[in-house]
Amino acid sequence: MTEFNGGGQQARVAAERFRQAIESTFAGDTDLLRRGAFVDTCCLIEIGAEQLVLTIRKGRPTVAARVPPLVSWEFAIRAGADAWLALWQPVPEPGWHDVFALAKRGAMRIEGSLQPFMANLQYFKDLVTLPRPGGPQ
Amino acid sequence: MKPPEFEPIVGRYLTVPILGDPCRVYVEEAGSGIPLVCLHTAGADSRQFRHLLCDAAVTSRYRVIAFDMPWHGKSYPPAGWQKSEYKLTTERYVETIRAFCSAMGLVRPVVMGCSIGGRIVLQLAHAHGGEFRALIGLESADYQQPWYDTSWLHRGDVHGGEVCAALVSGLIAPQSPSEYRHETLWQYMQGGPGIFKGDLYFYRVDSDLRGKLTGIDTKRCPLYLLTGEYDFSCTAADTLRTATAIPGAKVTLMKEVGHFPMSENPAQFRNYLLPVLEEIFKAAA
Repeated sequence: MTEFNGGGQQARVAAERFRQAIESTFAGDTDLLRRGAFVDTCCLIEIGAEQLVLTIRKGRPTVAARVPPLVSWEFAIRAGADAWLALWQPVPEPGWHDVFALAKRGAMRIEGSLQPFMANLQYFKDLVTLPRPGGPQ
Repeated sequence: MKPPEFEPIVGRYLTVPILGDPCRVYVEEAGSGIPLVCLHTAGADSRQFRHLLCDAAVTSRYRVIAFDMPWHGKSYPPAGWQKSEYKLTTERYVETIRAFCSAMGLVRPVVMGCSIGGRIVLQLAHAHGGEFRALIGLESADYQQPWYDTSWLHRGDVHGGEVCAALVSGLIAPQSPSEYRHETLWQYMQGGPGIFKGDLYFYRVDSDLRGKLTGIDTKRCPLYLLTGEYDFSCTAADTLRTATAIPGAKVTLMKEVGHFPMSENPAQFRNYLLPVLEEIFKAAA
């Protein structure tokens, strides 16, 4: 449990929006697939109380239908639904426009074994920004 | 036959003695008038100022000069660099700027620096204000709260250029043109191994200027601080706090701009810079 685990309906809607972005928007993003060709990892995306486990093989992510019991992941990105929704605004507000901006203001935590995240940082920044209308910059 | 389309920028190499080492420094310039020396950000190089160097509204009255610090861009490190870890210190940074101005024969230039360059102009104002006509700090503050572990910038299992660029990508405003966003990131992708990290040694460890900026005479050497609203590294609050402690310092907060104003959105930046340069020019007339 984290400090970001509220949200209720808002978190459920945001989590569904993220899932759809991974399943539909990503499919059309051949550039992201090219840049992620060597990404092989599993990570947890937490949106308020909602959790999504992303498994990425050769840069292609899939979202588990539900979080399996005793699931392992290498790193987690956790934030409240309000922070994710702010990040996904078409033109985000200053201080809400980047994962590290959110982390610096205490609205997001990025934790775990971070080598796969940092070694493919722009890939992951772009991946978690897919729900933004127009996509990553 | 179509004539060659040269930009007005001229690039040359200058020998600059820095802390006892003769350094081969790459310098670009354009224009004539008041010397305006431009300092690039950590881990980058003088290409960040290419738009300013080609802006006739500036070069008609200013001799715009931008150089690559040793270890950056087209300036080699001094001989023997391979034997030690690069760490920029306040002493080395100040001496690099002063030695460069001296080697160029500049008399009371204006110095404008961004990020680490914005930090060092505060130190120049504090310790050497009499040597400069005016100082301009872009994304400038006496201290900023760190927001990541710099050890990620230089290790074998993470590509240094890619991680440096990806880290700073969030410091660019979403409104900045895509072409210039990615040009700015390209500079970071091309930095030498460990050089961004070494520059940040100055930023993080060796230049906490809080409470140390006494005696700055802004009547003798005006100080301008311009900060972009999307810069979450050097925030508007950081700049405003810094200015509060310096009587006469003038602050401009820039809309729709991040940490690299001259490089990420030159058209928006010049809207804020030109009035500053106009004020300095009029004071010199």
